[in-house]
Amino acid sequence: MSTNLVLTIALPLLGAFLLPVLMRSSVAIALWSGPAILIYGCWILAELWLSGFTQPVSIAIGGFAPPLGINLYVDSLALLFAFAVQLLGLIFWPFTLDRESARRQSLMLLLVAASSGLALSGDLFNLYVFYELAAVATFGLASASGSSAAYVATLRYLILSGIGSVLTLFGIALIYSQTGTLNLAHLAQLAPQQLNNGLGLAAFLTILIGIGVKAELFPVNTWVPEIYATASTRLSAFLAGLLSKLALLIILRLLLLIFHQPEAAQVILILGILGVISGELAAWRAKEMKRMLAFSSIGQLGMIFIAMSLPDGKGMVAVIALALHHLVVKSGLFMLAEDWGGAIQRLRGSAKASPLGAALFVLFSLSLVGMPPLPGFWAKFVLITELAGQVEPLYLLGLAVFLLATVVEASYLFRVAAILYGNPAEETLGEEIPKSQGLALLSASLFGAGLVATALLIAPVGESLQAIAAQALDIDLYIGTVSPVISGGSQ
Amino acid sequence: MTSAVTPELILYITAIGLITIGLAGVVMSSHLFRMVLALVIAEAGANLMLVLAGYRWDAVAPILTSLAEPAAMVDPVPQALVLTAIVIGVGIQALAVSILIRIHQRYATLDRREAAERMDAEIAATLGVPRDISQEEPLGERPLPPLPADRANMRGDSP
Repeated sequence: MSTNLVLTIALPLLGAFLLPVLMRSSVAIALWSGPAILIYGCWILAELWLSGFTQPVSIAIGGFAPPLGINLYVDSLALLFAFAVQLLGLIFWPFTLDRESARRQSLMLLLVAASSGLALSGDLFNLYVFYELAAVATFGLASASGSSAAYVATLRYLILSGIGSVLTLFGIALIYSQTGTLNLAHLAQLAPQQLNNGLGLAAFLTILIGIGVKAELFPVNTWVPEIYATASTRLSAFLAGLLSKLALLIILRLLLLIFHQPEAAQVILILGILGVISGELAAWRAKEMKRMLAFSSIGQLGMIFIAMSLPDGKGMVAVIALALHHLVVKSGLFMLAEDWGGAIQRLRGSAKASPLGAALFVLFSLSLVGMPPLPGFWAKFVLITELAGQVEPLYLLGLAVFLLATVVEASYLFRVAAILYGNPAEETLGEEIPKSQGLALLSASLFGAGLVATALLIAPVGESLQAIAAQALDIDLYIGTVSPVISGGSQ
Repeated sequence: MTSAVTPELILYITAIGLITIGLAGVVMSSHLFRMVLALVIAEAGANLMLVLAGYRWDAVAPILTSLAEPAAMVDPVPQALVLTAIVIGVGIQALAVSILIRIHQRYATLDRREAAERMDAEIAATLGVPRDISQEEPLGERPLPPLPADRANMRGDSP
């Protein structure tokens, strides 16, 4: 049963390379094969989840046992994100049919395969390879819109991402020269003796900055507003909603399993605070919907980094809750922005033209700000309680920044809401008011329904999140699952 | 003191030096193609670092020639990793160059600042909003009034 899990990576990968060939023989089959692969992936993961998944499993690829071979590690957290990858891949599938659609669809399958790999893999170098694969697919999709600005934005993203991959590779080389292994479970065993020093910290910092390019970490996120403004809204939603969370997941795993130094958490805290400040202030200044969402997502990810830096895994529940909440809300907001691009002022009076879209926008905004009955409130509440319990002044600074950022967030989101519900200005009456409609509105309503359902079922959802967090925090469980043989002694 | 300059030390310094040169090149060069080249240099440094991670001077290549007890061998894992990293790097460089060609076709320039400037202008035009920040028109006023051309290089001399 669990070997089926490999198919969630292998099938999209296979499909990605076969799709252009299939397209030549039969367009109909080719067009449906992509969604079919993703639906099958969803089904595999959902079946595993529903058939009483409690204990994590480790799958050795090709029959080589973990310290030497590559393994997939599947716990509830990884399973949740792997499912989100397949589902969001399906929702954001590039359905548009034109001359480029074969290329776009195979790149999308490649992105899904790499993202699944990022969620599941248990080997450091394997993670690097999937990370690069996701990056290449992103470059292709981002430049697919074909405008000149998109090419420049993609190249700038490519260079920044290239710097990130050089730094990651350097960090991996440092870790390997010190320990001689790249398996995460094996590293977790060796780390307390061999990586608890300056070299380990240096390796963590280089990997943090390297992977942080995708996670929209503070100093390396200049690509965010450019790419989100030029790429298609569906790609932006996938990148902001999901890929950033997967990069976050890798950093989280490394921090939990390998790097226990307090300095590592402190660096993350400082970068997170800076990310919140810069992102939210830039979002407040933005005059255009997509850019506002892009900057706001930098701020939101900064908040998740603040949660991640809490000592002893106290922020684990908050990290998962905030990440999932941001995944749903930001994807929904980006889908709404698909028809509402352009200056925000232009949207005056759109609530009359598309009442459902405006209502959804208000719902997402309220949850993002943290109004009590909605899930966003609970996610933020958990983080605030944990932050307030810390004595170190830096965490209290984080708390203050977090609360101020919420005020700023409310200010710019409700400004847009007020414009949506305002009366159209006299001089623009003749122009057509942009309407949110069709597939985009449908996807956005799907996310809205998910949000409302979570708000209604908040108690069971909270309990299962706590169970997921407890399982992800259990390092001994990780080591024991991956390599029962070597878990007793050293190597 | 026994710390003579070993070949290993030289190679480690070379690796870190290449990465530094590459990163500095990316930050400082004003031409997009040079930025890509600088990235290639930095990648070479990272790859060299990875090879060094498993290299031993007193060992042979990790190939089994006979079934007898083999001599000490170099760690083959980093070499396999470096092969993968090189292939990935070459793929990304090719992609970068192809995008560069497209940019040159559209904008007829590969100057970093000019390309960024035109990209910002184009984004602002498609979105229908005024630009946030322009590199050519600063937000504030001029710090000093302009001087006549014949006195331009005398600033600071007069009291």
